[in-house]
Amino acid sequence: MSLPGPPLERAERPYKRISPLTPLVRSFILVVAVLASSWDDLLRGDIGPLAWILLTMLVAGAVYGAASWWRTKYWIEADELRVDTGVISRQSRRIRVDRLQGIDIVQPFVARLFGLAELRMDVAGGGAREGSLAFLPLREAQGLRETLLARRDAVRAPRSSNEDRVDDPVTPVTPGPERVLARLDLGTLLVSLLLSAETVGFVVAAVVLGALFVEFGQLGGLAGVLPVVAGFGVALFRRLSAYYGLTVAETPTGLQVRRGLFELNAQTIAVARVQGVVVTEPLMWRRLGWARLDVAVAGYAGSGSDGGPSASTVMPVADRDLVLWLARRLLEASGAPDPSSVRLTRSPARARWVSPIGRRFLASGVGDDLLVSREGVLTRRTHIVPHARVQSLQLTQGPLQRTLRLADLQVDSPPGPVKVRARHRDAVEARGLLDRADALARAARSASGPA
Amino acid sequence: MFPRSLGTVNELFAPPGNDWRPVSPALARLRRTVLVSVAGIALVITLVLGLVLETPVWPVLVVAALLVLVVAGGWVLIGRNARWWGYAERDEDLFIRHGALFRTLVVVPYGRMQYVDVQAGPLEQAFKIASVHLHTASPGTSARIPGLPADEAARLRDRLTSLGHAQAAGL
Repeated sequence: MSLPGPPLERAERPYKRISPLTPLVRSFILVVAVLASSWDDLLRGDIGPLAWILLTMLVAGAVYGAASWWRTKYWIEADELRVDTGVISRQSRRIRVDRLQGIDIVQPFVARLFGLAELRMDVAGGGAREGSLAFLPLREAQGLRETLLARRDAVRAPRSSNEDRVDDPVTPVTPGPERVLARLDLGTLLVSLLLSAETVGFVVAAVVLGALFVEFGQLGGLAGVLPVVAGFGVALFRRLSAYYGLTVAETPTGLQVRRGLFELNAQTIAVARVQGVVVTEPLMWRRLGWARLDVAVAGYAGSGSDGGPSASTVMPVADRDLVLWLARRLLEASGAPDPSSVRLTRSPARARWVSPIGRRFLASGVGDDLLVSREGVLTRRTHIVPHARVQSLQLTQGPLQRTLRLADLQVDSPPGPVKVRARHRDAVEARGLLDRADALARAARSASGPA
Repeated sequence: MFPRSLGTVNELFAPPGNDWRPVSPALARLRRTVLVSVAGIALVITLVLGLVLETPVWPVLVVAALLVLVVAGGWVLIGRNARWWGYAERDEDLFIRHGALFRTLVVVPYGRMQYVDVQAGPLEQAFKIASVHLHTASPGTSARIPGLPADEAARLRDRLTSLGHAQAAGL
């Protein structure tokens, strides 16, 4: 009898396996449900037909999971991360290291119980998250991430002519030193959630519910209003659990944002890839001087505007000064230091014919390094894009604007939260802004060199 | 090619140097052909319905008059719209202007182009024109030039691609 050892050529290739607990984590809820539903039967010893079916499924699933684990291997080879998967049909994915935009470490709740983490890789050119490796022990996931990012920088460094990017081509396999830049404290988060539109909705819905009860003495309207109340409550809780304990730290590979109550999320923002930032100031926070910071990173579409926690959020709530300071940090790589140095100007008074209320809240400006626009009556949003990141510029004018001699200037950015629009400017001025922005973007592009 | 009567408003949408290239007159021909064909079919349907249902004559006449009005109005609008399409190739960027009513000027740096599409549907092929579509990393960039003569579309695509490569800028 010979031992089934790995063939020699396999031994030369030092592949690694994912955690053997992966199938369990993936189907944890199912396993718990099956066990819970047939536990009594199992204890009593008389196993009904349903329990038999469930148990058979469980065993089959376990076999499949084990086979899937056995077949999943990953290794780094010639600047590629290769991931082989598949039990019946085999797949081999190759992720080019130099195409990596960023790597997130995500710990869903169940995985966190087992100390496991998922590695999510963002690949250039793909809107969707293409590369995912799940699950690895947390320490291993962190190590692999650092290795991949370091290797990426080493691959990119000789080709990029950008001097400030060649910081440290050596490969730190252990997590590099990091410096905490900002921390979100729980009190601020709670107060900000209480001062959000969802809370207002929650209160209004609850008041309506109470009024109905008082008026009719029975909860007739309950069925209609309760889901609304619950919905607002869930939305608030989702944000609390997503942003809980948020920390912004500076690491050699970029700014790292860690957050989460149940599901831990660590996201690294490559500062060189920042396309722009948005500072959001809802009406109810303004008195407290609070603001929110979102960032747009190339290849990172971020989540939709469903009010839920968003991947693009760097700081969900903080003092305005801190938010602006973080914004400066994010914009530094594109040589654009200070957003507040850009002078914002309002639209001319005649714009009130097209935008009677909004006009007072519209402002925009073109600085030497940045394009800035501000809008929003209740929630004030300031969009900031460096000239070096402008994709294209558009000047538009509708018939009404033409009679008023107004025009809009729009800056096109990659998919993300940032959208600079100078709305309802004087037409000649808008054209001047377009030419100025075009010339500055050209200068910025040639300064940053080809990539 | 430039509608002089519109005066200074044009300068708002003109590139520095004012070297616009127009799109092919075949674009307006194509659109007008489609307009007239659709109106013609509608007229035939109206006539047939009028005959089959034995309606009085005046509703048919009203519909026919409306169709004539639509064709006349559309004819003029198509002409105006086609005159407003234009593009200018500059050293580092492409200017595209379009829209008579809602005017737009798009500036796309060559270095920002991700890829260039040339499309020609069956109708466009019959009129020997094609449209060129520039894509940047932003989905908001609406840089499309319809109605280019087929060889001009190919030339523009090749030129844009080579310039895009030469001036490519990182994201």
